[in-house]
Formats: sequence, structure tokens, C-alpha cells
Amino acid sequence: MNYYERPTPLQEQANIEAIQHFVEHLNQFKANCDALRSIECNLSTTANDALKSALLSPGRVIQTDDGTQWQHDLDLSSVTSVCHRRTVAGLEFAVVECLPLKSGEIKEVLNSGHSVRDVLRAFTHDQRQVLNLWKEDVKAQVREHLDEKYPRQDMGIVVESFEIKMARAISETRAVTQSQSRGIRI
Amino acid sequence: METIPKTEESQATKATERLAYSIQEAADMLGVNYFSVYRLIQRNKLKVCRALRGKLLVPRTELLKLLGTE
Repeated sequence: MNYYERPTPLQEQANIEAIQHFVEHLNQFKANCDALRSIECNLSTTANDALKSALLSPGRVIQTDDGTQWQHDLDLSSVTSVCHRRTVAGLEFAVVECLPLKSGEIKEVLNSGHSVRDVLRAFTHDQRQVLNLWKEDVKAQVREHLDEKYPRQDMGIVVESFEIKMARAISETRAVTQSQSRGIRI
Repeated sequence: METIPKTEESQATKATERLAYSIQEAADMLGVNYFSVYRLIQRNKLKVCRALRGKLLVPRTELLKLLGTE
């Protein structure tokens, strides 16, 4: 709830009810923020491990939907992994998503480049943008839900509390990354 | 005579067919989690529209396209 304004009993009730209604969104959002934080905190180690893997072991082959072939280095999540391929310009790295849809699997390169660290940085940057898109959508959904459930009642404070919760989860991710990288070039 | 109820039924089905779905519904239909749906939206693999209050809606045609059933 807003720190400067005291919520009415109805707003408090609406807040509890909305949290219950959107619990799946909030849980999944928090879990994905934590997963992103973990990748960001371990970016340097992950980059080194991927590089070692690329140099030492062949790795299983993944053919993406654009026809290019990559060799798997390590998993970032259940659907994303770091892969590499050999090109005339040297090793090229990519974050590849293998998304199992009900109709079949989508295999797509999300980010690629010759520096595995830059690829991971670009990936985490993009994921943060996705989290922001998610946050804005949940905010709109909460607003719609409350407008329908509590017509003609001011529920702005409840919507704001959701936004703060989710923004805090994202900014915690960013704060950890900044403190980890302060003074150390990763 | 037998075709009349069928036609009525198919018309009723068409009438109840939704034009667009929420992210939760889209995730269920695709068989993935919410984050994956937002990722598909972010990189324009899944086109969306916005409802009056800004809520994202996935058109049925876009879902069918991705599911390869269109």
C-alpha cells in the first residue's frame, strides 16, 4: 500500500482479494526476477563456463528455425541455453530458446555475438524489458479487475501497491547487478 | 431435417468464439508459462492489441498462427 496514504478498509479488502486473484502472476513474476538476478550475479562465471565448454567439448547440436546449427554449451533456464558455432570470424555465441508449444517446438536465437559476455549482457537486458512489459500488463489487469469488482470506488492505491511490488522486484535485480559490477569489469 | 440443429449449433459456437484472449489464456492454449508469452510478444512473434485500460490481448488468429492450425 501507499506509504503516505492510509487505505480504507474497502481498499485493504480489495488489495487482499486482488493479491489472491493475481497470485499466479505474482509468483511467476517473482520467480523469473530471481532467475534473472541469478544469471546477472553469475554472468562472469557463466561466460567463462560457456567459453570453456565451447573450447573443450563438442556439445549436442541444436538446429534453430532459421536453419543455423549451434552446439549446446550450458542451460540458462529450462527453455534457454548458451550455444556456440564456429564461423570464419571465430567462435560465435548465442542464447537459444527452445520453447515447447503444444503444436511443436520453436527454436530461436535470442541474442548472438562473438563475445559471450556481451551476448549474456544483451540477453539479461532484453529479459528486464520483458519484465517491464509484464509489470505494465498486470497493472492494467488489476485496474480492470478492480473497476469491475468495485465500480465507482477509487482503487488507485491498490493498483499502485501492485506496481510498487513488481517494480521493486525488478529494481532489486538491477541493484544486485550494479553492486556486483561496481569497480569490477565483468 | 437433421442438418438444422447442426447448423444452429455451429452458429452458436461461432457466436461464442472469442476474438482475443488474455495472457493467462494464451499461455494455457500454447502450453507455456506467462514469461514465455511475454517474451514472444516482446520480440513480435506474437502480435497483441490493447484493451481500453491497457491490458494486453492476444488475437485468436495470432494464437492459431503460432499453433499452426490456421
